[in-house]
Amino acid sequence: MITGGLDLGVGTTKGVLIEDGQRVLVTDIEPTHGNPLEAGRRVLERMVEEANVFPDGVDYLCTTGAARYMFPDRHLQVSDITASAKGAVFLFPQTRHVVDIGSQSTRAIAVSETGRVTRFKMNEKCAAGAGRFVDRCAKYLQVPMDEMAPKALVAAHPKMISSVCAVLAETEIINNVSEGIPLPDILMGVFLSLAQRANVLMRNVGVQPELTLVGGLVHSEAMVRALEQTAKMPVNTDLRSHHAAAIGAAILGHSRLQKLGGRPVALPAVTG
Amino acid sequence: MTLFAGVDIGSTTAKCVLLEDGTIVGKSLAPVGVELIKDAERSLEQALTDAGRERRDVTVITGTGYGRFKVTFGQYTVTEIGCHARGAHFLFPATRVVLDIGGQDTKAIKVDAKGEVVDFAMNDKCAAGTGRFLDVCAGALGYDVSEIGTLSLGARHPVKVTNTCTVFAESEVASYVARGKDPKDILAGLYGGIVSRSLSLLQRVGVEPEVTFTGGVSKNEGMVRALGHRLGLPVNVSPLSQYVGAIGAALHGVERSRGVSA
Repeated sequence: MITGGLDLGVGTTKGVLIEDGQRVLVTDIEPTHGNPLEAGRRVLERMVEEANVFPDGVDYLCTTGAARYMFPDRHLQVSDITASAKGAVFLFPQTRHVVDIGSQSTRAIAVSETGRVTRFKMNEKCAAGAGRFVDRCAKYLQVPMDEMAPKALVAAHPKMISSVCAVLAETEIINNVSEGIPLPDILMGVFLSLAQRANVLMRNVGVQPELTLVGGLVHSEAMVRALEQTAKMPVNTDLRSHHAAAIGAAILGHSRLQKLGGRPVALPAVTG
Repeated sequence: MTLFAGVDIGSTTAKCVLLEDGTIVGKSLAPVGVELIKDAERSLEQALTDAGRERRDVTVITGTGYGRFKVTFGQYTVTEIGCHARGAHFLFPATRVVLDIGGQDTKAIKVDAKGEVVDFAMNDKCAAGTGRFLDVCAGALGYDVSEIGTLSLGARHPVKVTNTCTVFAESEVASYVARGKDPKDILAGLYGGIVSRSLSLLQRVGVEPEVTFTGGVSKNEGMVRALGHRLGLPVNVSPLSQYVGAIGAALHGVERSRGVSA
């Protein structure tokens, strides 16, 4: 039985196909560019082809993320909080706390042993605490996104950002550059400041080990280090953690399908 | 030796005003860079050139604004709150509430009949509702902030800008542009948001007439009308509204030097 999870986020659209709720067959991702429907369809199409599940296709599709209601070819939708928690526990079974840093919002989620959400806090009102902040810093410091972390990791004296606003932080960072503060120190300051914002939410929820980071910044070793340093505990993450919410959605889809008696439902056409 | 200089180093612009016998005889306004001390010196020099006077004619120099400690060649520094109160009182003596929207912060100041500060509330933590917010959103519309002053007039169906955060509002504006919304209506929606944020500061100090609007954002006619409409009160705006802090600084210099000589 194959279930699909589509995480239709503001920044990127992530997808995964899972067999019997246990084995990840394929993952895919592309930038959303303001059109979650098109991005979602392309992601799904590529996964179906790559996993070679065509023509039987996907038995059940579950969407999550900001645009989860905008994808008509779904059987079920679940909140990104529920999906991230489920996905994080699937990837790291000892997870009790999930930090999900998305492009436009950050969430701290306490989870039970079964991956059920017990408490959460979210910032979606302010760009200073969201992944978008790192993108913007990369842009105006003219550092390619994939060089941000390697450059930040050699920082000797990270320069913390005092501003709590993403826009005012820009001015502060530019002043730091003109004062001759080394680029690595400024970059590590960006990650630490983001980690501090996440930590405010985490403490509010209550942090229990193990701590798992999901979302787009899992690719950034500097972000992982910054979070470890701020939370004072090790952080689980691997590259699949970027797809945690999509994985969670697919698993939740599988559970639902089993409750329905495992009757495979044909997926509506994905091309078109 | 009769000139009193007020130098207001803001986050975005440097302003200088020269007062002589209670009259403004020279002024200057220029964007600030990273070397604030030089910017401050230049703004004084430009005001002197404007007045056709020389440095030795200046009795007292008073610094104000976010960069007031960079006015290293002055005698006094006064907070921008005190200066806006005094400057607004100078231009509109019946002022009881000042709303100052600068490049990077917003302040609501309650003043008494003498132009003394009674109370104030301020947002300097976040760019939302400040001049910076307007800059960024004008950019998303494809305009420079100096071009949009009257553009919103005649808007018929203002959009609702739901985001408070400048970064998110910028994306929201871009999505309205992509949907083909009239820039007039988008701007009117943005002004509505800025006015709401200002109103919550104004209500903290208490609104009473007359209200005087100062700072760079008060140059925007659409904003002035949106504010007046929501307050249900006329709003004083002077052609010198960007210089109010500098005027107040010069006036403080006059008072302090009197106090010293007495």
